[in-house]
Amino acid sequence: MAQIVAGFGVPHTPVFPFFVKRDGPDCEIAKLFAAQAAELATASPDVIVMFDTDHLNTFFLDNLPIFAIGVDETFTGPNDEPREVPTYTIPSAPDLAGHIRQAAIAAGFDVALTQQFSVDHSIAVPLHFLTPRMHVPVIPVFISGHVPPLPSAQRCHALGQTVGRAIASWPSALRIAVMGSGSFSLEVGGPRMAPGRSDGVPDPNWVTRVISYLEQAQIDMLIAQATEKQLFKAGNVGGELLNWIAMLGAIGNRKPSYVAPQMQNGHAYGVWRW
Amino acid sequence: MSIFTVNYLCRELLRDHAFRAAMKSDPTRALAHKDLTTSEREALLTGDVGALFRMGANAFLMAYMARFEVCGLNVEIYNQRMRAEKVDDQGRPLARLSRVF
Repeated sequence: MAQIVAGFGVPHTPVFPFFVKRDGPDCEIAKLFAAQAAELATASPDVIVMFDTDHLNTFFLDNLPIFAIGVDETFTGPNDEPREVPTYTIPSAPDLAGHIRQAAIAAGFDVALTQQFSVDHSIAVPLHFLTPRMHVPVIPVFISGHVPPLPSAQRCHALGQTVGRAIASWPSALRIAVMGSGSFSLEVGGPRMAPGRSDGVPDPNWVTRVISYLEQAQIDMLIAQATEKQLFKAGNVGGELLNWIAMLGAIGNRKPSYVAPQMQNGHAYGVWRW
Repeated sequence: MSIFTVNYLCRELLRDHAFRAAMKSDPTRALAHKDLTTSEREALLTGDVGALFRMGANAFLMAYMARFEVCGLNVEIYNQRMRAEKVDDQGRPLARLSRVF
Protein backbone atom coordinates (compact mmCIF):
# COMPACT_ATOMS: atom_id res chain seq x y z
CA MET A 1 0.00 0.00 0.00
CA ALA A 2 1.20 3.49 -0.75
CA GLN A 3 1.76 5.72 2.26
CA ILE A 4 2.12 9.44 2.82
CA VAL A 5 5.50 10.07 4.43
CA ALA A 6 5.71 13.86 4.60
CA GLY A 7 3.87 17.12 4.02
CA PHE A 8 5.29 20.39 2.73
CA GLY A 9 4.00 23.91 2.34
CA VAL A 10 5.99 25.87 -0.22
CA PRO A 11 6.16 29.41 -1.61
CA HIS A 12 6.41 29.90 -5.35
CA THR A 13 7.43 33.53 -5.87
CA PRO A 14 8.46 33.65 -9.55
CA VAL A 15 11.43 35.96 -9.02
CA PHE A 16 13.05 33.78 -6.31
CA PRO A 17 15.22 31.73 -8.72
CA PHE A 18 16.65 35.00 -10.05
CA PHE A 19 17.32 36.26 -6.51
CA VAL A 20 19.08 33.03 -5.54
CA LYS A 21 21.20 33.07 -8.67
CA ARG A 22 22.12 36.71 -7.97
CA ASP A 23 22.63 36.42 -4.18
CA GLY A 24 24.08 32.92 -3.85
CA PRO A 25 23.47 29.93 -1.59
CA ASP A 26 23.77 31.90 1.67
CA CYS A 27 20.77 34.14 1.04
CA GLU A 28 17.63 33.56 3.09
CA ILE A 29 15.56 32.18 0.22
CA ALA A 30 18.27 29.67 -0.75
CA LYS A 31 18.68 28.51 2.84
CA LEU A 32 14.95 28.10 3.46
CA PHE A 33 14.49 26.04 0.30
CA ALA A 34 17.68 24.05 1.01
CA ALA A 35 16.32 23.09 4.44
CA GLN A 36 13.11 21.84 2.81
CA ALA A 37 15.07 20.03 0.11
CA ALA A 38 17.09 18.21 2.79
CA GLU A 39 13.87 17.17 4.58
CA LEU A 40 12.41 16.00 1.29
CA ALA A 41 15.52 13.98 0.45
CA THR A 42 15.37 12.29 3.87
CA ALA A 43 11.68 11.49 3.39
CA SER A 44 12.73 9.92 0.09
CA PRO A 45 9.39 10.02 -1.72
CA ASP A 46 8.67 7.99 -4.84
CA VAL A 47 6.00 10.47 -5.90
CA ILE A 48 5.04 14.05 -4.96
CA VAL A 49 1.35 15.02 -4.99
CA MET A 50 1.17 18.80 -5.25
CA PHE A 51 -1.90 20.92 -4.54
CA ASP A 52 -1.53 24.06 -6.61
CA THR A 53 -3.37 27.08 -7.92
CA ASP A 54 -2.72 27.72 -11.60
CA HIS A 55 -2.31 31.41 -12.50
CA LEU A 56 -4.49 31.24 -15.62
CA ASN A 57 -1.73 29.50 -17.56
CA THR A 58 -2.66 25.81 -17.52
CA PHE A 59 -6.31 26.84 -17.60
CA PHE A 60 -7.94 30.14 -18.51
CA LEU A 61 -11.18 32.06 -18.11
CA ASP A 62 -12.67 30.20 -21.07
CA ASN A 63 -12.55 26.95 -19.13
CA LEU A 64 -11.77 27.16 -15.45
CA PRO A 65 -12.17 24.05 -13.31
CA ILE A 66 -12.58 24.43 -9.55
CA PHE A 67 -10.64 21.17 -9.10
CA ALA A 68 -8.53 19.35 -11.70
CA ILE A 69 -5.80 16.75 -11.82
CA GLY A 70 -3.05 16.22 -14.34
CA VAL A 71 -2.91 12.66 -15.62
CA ASP A 72 -0.01 12.07 -17.96
CA GLU A 73 3.46 10.52 -18.21
CA THR A 74 5.14 13.93 -18.13
CA PHE A 75 4.31 17.60 -18.22
CA THR A 76 6.39 20.72 -18.85
CA GLY A 77 6.94 24.01 -17.09
CA PRO A 78 7.20 26.78 -16.32
CA ASN A 79 5.08 28.19 -19.13
CA ASP A 80 5.17 31.81 -17.91
CA GLU A 81 8.85 32.75 -18.23
CA PRO A 82 10.07 33.33 -14.66
CA ARG A 83 13.70 34.50 -14.82
CA GLU A 84 16.50 31.95 -14.45
CA VAL A 85 14.23 28.91 -14.60
CA PRO A 86 14.77 26.50 -17.50
CA THR A 87 11.81 24.77 -19.11
CA TYR A 88 11.69 21.43 -17.35
CA THR A 89 10.08 18.21 -18.41
CA ILE A 90 8.67 16.84 -15.18
CA PRO A 91 7.88 13.14 -14.84
CA SER A 92 4.49 12.18 -13.44
CA ALA A 93 2.67 9.02 -12.37
CA PRO A 94 -0.44 8.69 -14.53
CA ASP A 95 -1.65 5.40 -13.05
CA LEU A 96 -1.73 6.80 -9.53
CA ALA A 97 -3.07 10.14 -10.78
CA GLY A 98 -5.92 8.36 -12.57
CA HIS A 99 -6.63 6.33 -9.43
CA ILE A 100 -6.78 9.50 -7.31
CA ARG A 101 -9.14 11.13 -9.78
CA GLN A 102 -11.39 8.06 -9.87
CA ALA A 103 -11.46 7.90 -6.07
CA ALA A 104 -12.20 11.62 -5.81
CA ILE A 105 -15.10 11.41 -8.24
CA ALA A 106 -16.47 8.35 -6.41
CA ALA A 107 -16.34 10.43 -3.23
CA GLY A 108 -18.35 13.26 -4.82
CA PHE A 109 -15.56 15.56 -6.02
CA ASP A 110 -16.08 16.27 -9.72
CA VAL A 111 -12.40 16.68 -10.52
CA ALA A 112 -11.61 17.74 -14.07
CA LEU A 113 -8.96 15.98 -16.14
CA THR A 114 -6.05 17.58 -17.94
CA GLN A 115 -3.55 15.81 -20.22
CA GLN A 116 -0.73 17.10 -22.43
CA PHE A 117 -0.51 20.11 -20.17
CA SER A 118 2.08 22.58 -18.98
CA VAL A 119 2.29 24.28 -15.60
CA ASP A 120 3.43 27.71 -14.48
CA HIS A 121 5.85 29.00 -11.84
CA SER A 122 3.57 27.88 -9.01
CA ILE A 123 4.73 24.29 -9.55
CA ALA A 124 8.02 24.78 -11.41
CA VAL A 125 9.63 27.26 -8.98
CA PRO A 126 9.32 25.08 -5.84
CA LEU A 127 10.51 22.03 -7.81
CA HIS A 128 13.42 24.09 -9.21
CA PHE A 129 14.65 24.35 -5.60
CA LEU A 130 13.44 21.06 -4.11
CA THR A 131 14.00 18.49 -6.88
CA PRO A 132 16.14 20.29 -9.47
CA ARG A 133 17.06 17.01 -11.16
CA MET A 134 13.32 16.41 -11.67
CA HIS A 135 13.85 12.77 -10.72
CA VAL A 136 10.72 12.48 -8.54
CA PRO A 137 7.40 12.13 -10.39
CA VAL A 138 4.89 14.86 -9.55
CA ILE A 139 1.08 14.67 -9.69
CA PRO A 140 -0.49 18.15 -9.79
CA VAL A 141 -3.91 18.64 -8.23
CA PHE A 142 -5.25 22.06 -9.16
CA ILE A 143 -7.48 24.12 -6.87
CA SER A 144 -9.03 27.33 -8.20
CA GLY A 145 -7.74 29.83 -5.64
CA HIS A 146 -7.67 33.14 -7.50
CA VAL A 147 -10.91 33.73 -9.40
CA PRO A 148 -14.08 33.99 -7.30
CA PRO A 149 -16.14 32.13 -6.35
CA LEU A 150 -13.57 29.96 -4.57
CA PRO A 151 -14.22 26.46 -3.28
CA SER A 152 -14.65 26.52 0.50
CA ALA A 153 -11.77 25.72 2.85
CA GLN A 154 -13.86 22.86 4.24
CA ARG A 155 -14.33 21.44 0.75
CA CYS A 156 -10.60 21.70 -0.04
CA HIS A 157 -9.71 20.02 3.23
CA ALA A 158 -12.16 17.22 2.45
CA LEU A 159 -10.65 16.88 -1.03
CA GLY A 160 -7.27 16.49 0.63
CA GLN A 161 -8.66 13.81 2.92
CA THR A 162 -10.08 12.00 -0.11
CA VAL A 163 -6.72 12.19 -1.89
CA GLY A 164 -5.07 10.83 1.26
CA ARG A 165 -7.46 7.87 1.35
CA ALA A 166 -6.94 7.26 -2.36
CA ILE A 167 -3.18 7.11 -1.82
CA ALA A 168 -3.63 4.71 1.09
CA SER A 169 -5.72 2.41 -1.10
CA TRP A 170 -3.13 2.29 -3.94
CA PRO A 171 -1.71 -1.24 -4.00
CA SER A 172 1.96 -0.39 -4.75
CA ALA A 173 4.23 0.30 -1.78
CA LEU A 174 5.03 3.86 -2.80
CA ARG A 175 6.24 6.64 -0.51
CA ILE A 176 4.31 9.86 -1.18
CA ALA A 177 5.10 13.43 -0.20
CA VAL A 178 2.20 15.87 -0.33
CA MET A 179 2.77 19.58 -1.00
CA GLY A 180 0.65 22.71 -0.92
CA SER A 181 1.92 25.66 -2.96
CA GLY A 182 1.26 29.34 -2.33
CA SER A 183 0.98 32.42 -0.16
CA PHE A 184 -1.23 33.37 2.79
CA SER A 185 -1.46 37.09 2.06
CA LEU A 186 -0.45 38.51 -1.29
CA GLU A 187 -1.77 40.98 -3.84
CA VAL A 188 -0.22 40.66 -7.30
CA GLY A 189 -0.80 43.49 -9.77
CA GLY A 190 -3.82 44.82 -7.87
CA PRO A 191 -4.48 48.12 -6.05
CA ARG A 192 -3.12 46.81 -2.74
CA MET A 193 0.44 46.46 -4.06
CA ALA A 194 3.12 48.14 -1.95
CA PRO A 195 4.45 51.43 -3.41
CA GLY A 196 6.83 50.85 -6.32
CA ARG A 197 6.45 47.07 -6.26
CA SER A 198 4.47 44.58 -8.32
CA ASP A 199 3.04 42.92 -5.20
CA GLY A 200 2.13 43.59 -1.61
CA VAL A 201 1.02 41.89 1.61
CA PRO A 202 -2.39 43.40 2.50
CA ASP A 203 -3.02 41.41 5.69
CA PRO A 204 0.16 40.54 7.64
CA ASN A 205 -1.95 39.82 10.76
CA TRP A 206 -3.63 37.02 8.84
CA VAL A 207 -0.22 35.53 8.02
CA THR A 208 0.61 35.48 11.74
CA ARG A 209 -2.73 33.87 12.58
CA VAL A 210 -2.39 31.23 9.85
CA ILE A 211 1.09 30.28 11.05
CA SER A 212 -0.18 30.04 14.64
CA TYR A 213 -3.02 27.73 13.57
CA LEU A 214 -0.57 25.60 11.60
CA GLU A 215 1.91 25.38 14.47
CA GLN A 216 -0.80 24.40 16.95
CA ALA A 217 -2.45 21.97 14.50
CA GLN A 218 -5.69 23.96 14.87
CA ILE A 219 -6.96 22.93 11.49
CA ASP A 220 -10.62 23.38 12.43
CA MET A 221 -9.93 26.97 13.46
CA LEU A 222 -7.97 27.57 10.27
CA ILE A 223 -10.81 26.20 8.14
CA ALA A 224 -13.43 28.22 10.03
CA GLN A 225 -11.45 31.43 9.63
CA ALA A 226 -10.42 30.90 6.00
CA THR A 227 -13.64 32.19 4.48
CA GLU A 228 -13.64 33.52 0.94
CA LYS A 229 -14.02 37.01 2.40
CA GLN A 230 -10.91 36.55 4.56
CA LEU A 231 -8.89 34.99 1.73
CA PHE A 232 -9.57 37.95 -0.59
CA LYS A 233 -9.06 40.40 2.28
CA ALA A 234 -5.56 38.88 2.39
CA GLY A 235 -4.98 39.64 -1.30
CA ASN A 236 -6.05 38.70 -4.80
CA VAL A 237 -4.04 35.45 -4.55
CA GLY A 238 -4.85 34.88 -0.85
CA GLY A 239 -6.86 31.82 -1.90
CA GLU A 240 -3.60 29.93 -2.40
CA LEU A 241 -3.86 29.02 1.30
CA LEU A 242 -6.45 26.47 0.12
CA ASN A 243 -3.56 24.38 -1.25
CA TRP A 244 -1.99 24.17 2.21
CA ILE A 245 -5.38 23.27 3.71
CA ALA A 246 -5.84 20.46 1.16
CA MET A 247 -2.32 19.21 1.93
CA LEU A 248 -3.24 19.10 5.63
CA GLY A 249 -6.36 17.14 4.76
CA ALA A 250 -4.20 14.57 2.99
CA ILE A 251 -1.54 14.16 5.68
CA GLY A 252 -3.92 14.34 8.67
CA ASN A 253 -4.06 16.77 11.56
CA ARG A 254 -0.45 16.91 12.72
CA LYS A 255 1.85 19.48 14.23
CA PRO A 256 4.51 20.63 11.80
CA SER A 257 8.22 19.99 12.23
CA TYR A 258 8.51 23.72 11.53
CA VAL A 259 6.85 26.62 9.73
CA ALA A 260 9.36 29.32 8.75
CA PRO A 261 7.70 32.60 7.75
CA GLN A 262 8.87 35.24 5.32
CA MET A 263 6.59 38.01 6.51
CA GLN A 264 7.68 40.45 3.81
CA ASN A 265 6.31 38.00 1.23
CA GLY A 266 3.20 36.94 3.18
CA HIS A 267 4.16 33.28 2.99
CA ALA A 268 6.05 30.49 4.77
CA TYR A 269 8.02 27.29 4.32
CA GLY A 270 6.40 24.39 6.18
CA VAL A 271 7.57 20.84 6.84
CA TRP A 272 5.56 18.02 8.35
CA ARG A 273 7.56 14.87 9.15
CA TRP A 274 6.66 12.05 11.51
CA MET B 1 -18.57 40.16 -23.15
CA SER B 2 -15.39 41.67 -24.51
CA ILE B 3 -13.67 42.12 -21.13
CA PHE B 4 -12.81 38.47 -21.79
CA THR B 5 -10.86 39.72 -24.81
CA VAL B 6 -8.99 42.21 -22.63
CA ASN B 7 -7.99 39.44 -20.23
CA TYR B 8 -7.12 37.13 -23.09
CA LEU B 9 -4.96 39.74 -24.83
CA CYS B 10 -3.11 40.41 -21.58
CA ARG B 11 -2.18 36.75 -21.42
CA GLU B 12 -1.28 36.76 -25.12
CA LEU B 13 1.39 39.31 -24.23
CA LEU B 14 3.02 36.49 -22.32
CA ARG B 15 2.35 33.66 -24.74
CA ASP B 16 2.53 35.17 -28.21
CA HIS B 17 5.87 36.86 -28.72
CA ALA B 18 4.85 38.29 -32.10
CA PHE B 19 1.81 39.93 -30.50
CA ARG B 20 4.05 41.21 -27.68
CA ALA B 21 6.37 42.80 -30.23
CA ALA B 22 3.43 44.27 -32.16
CA MET B 23 1.99 45.77 -28.96
CA LYS B 24 5.34 47.37 -28.19
CA SER B 25 5.83 48.84 -31.66
CA ASP B 26 2.32 49.74 -32.87
CA PRO B 27 -0.42 48.92 -30.35
CA THR B 28 -3.16 50.71 -32.30
CA ARG B 29 -2.52 48.42 -35.23
CA ALA B 30 -2.05 45.35 -33.04
CA LEU B 31 -5.51 45.88 -31.53
CA ALA B 32 -7.22 47.07 -34.72
CA HIS B 33 -9.15 43.90 -35.40
CA LYS B 34 -9.68 42.71 -31.85
CA ASP B 35 -13.19 42.37 -30.45
CA LEU B 36 -13.11 45.29 -28.03
CA THR B 37 -15.51 48.07 -27.08
CA THR B 38 -14.42 51.64 -27.76
CA SER B 39 -13.80 52.25 -24.06
CA GLU B 40 -11.79 49.05 -23.66
CA ARG B 41 -9.67 49.85 -26.68
CA GLU B 42 -9.05 53.39 -25.49
CA ALA B 43 -8.17 52.23 -21.97
CA LEU B 44 -5.76 49.62 -23.32
CA LEU B 45 -4.03 52.05 -25.66
CA THR B 46 -3.62 54.71 -22.97
CA GLY B 47 -2.51 52.19 -20.35
CA ASP B 48 -5.51 53.17 -18.22
CA VAL B 49 -5.37 50.02 -16.13
CA GLY B 50 -7.55 51.57 -13.42
CA ALA B 51 -10.42 51.91 -15.90
CA LEU B 52 -9.86 48.37 -17.15
CA PHE B 53 -9.89 47.11 -13.55
CA ARG B 54 -13.24 48.82 -12.97
CA MET B 55 -14.53 47.15 -16.16
CA GLY B 56 -13.66 43.75 -14.71
CA ALA B 57 -10.19 43.05 -16.08
CA ASN B 58 -8.07 40.69 -13.99
CA ALA B 59 -5.28 42.55 -12.17
CA PHE B 60 -2.90 39.62 -12.25
CA LEU B 61 -3.25 39.43 -16.05
CA MET B 62 -3.02 43.18 -16.56
CA ALA B 63 0.32 43.14 -14.76
CA TYR B 64 1.75 41.57 -17.92
CA MET B 65 1.24 44.97 -19.57
CA ALA B 66 3.67 46.43 -17.02
CA ARG B 67 6.07 43.49 -17.16
CA PHE B 68 6.39 43.72 -20.93
CA GLU B 69 6.13 47.52 -20.93
CA VAL B 70 3.40 48.11 -23.48
CA CYS B 71 1.01 51.06 -23.92
CA GLY B 72 3.21 53.43 -21.94
CA LEU B 73 3.33 51.23 -18.85
CA ASN B 74 6.14 49.96 -16.70
CA VAL B 75 6.12 48.55 -13.17
CA GLU B 76 6.30 52.01 -11.59
CA ILE B 77 3.56 53.65 -13.67
CA TYR B 78 1.36 50.57 -13.40
CA ASN B 79 1.85 50.56 -9.63
CA GLN B 80 0.87 54.23 -9.33
CA ARG B 81 -2.23 53.88 -11.50
CA MET B 82 -3.50 50.74 -9.77
CA ARG B 83 -2.78 52.01 -6.29
CA ALA B 84 -4.91 55.08 -7.08
CA GLU B 85 -7.96 52.83 -7.41
CA LYS B 86 -10.37 52.71 -4.48
CA VAL B 87 -11.25 49.18 -3.40
CA ASP B 88 -13.41 47.47 -0.80
CA ASP B 89 -12.05 45.24 1.97
CA GLN B 90 -11.70 42.36 -0.49
CA GLY B 91 -9.77 44.33 -3.07
CA ARG B 92 -12.67 44.82 -5.48
CA PRO B 93 -13.11 48.19 -7.20
CA LEU B 94 -15.65 50.39 -5.42
CA ALA B 95 -16.74 51.82 -8.77
CA ARG B 96 -17.22 48.38 -10.22
CA LEU B 97 -18.65 48.26 -13.72
CA SER B 98 -18.75 44.49 -14.08
CA ARG B 99 -20.40 41.92 -11.84
CA VAL B 100 -18.92 38.93 -13.58
CA PHE B 101 -15.99 38.44 -11.23
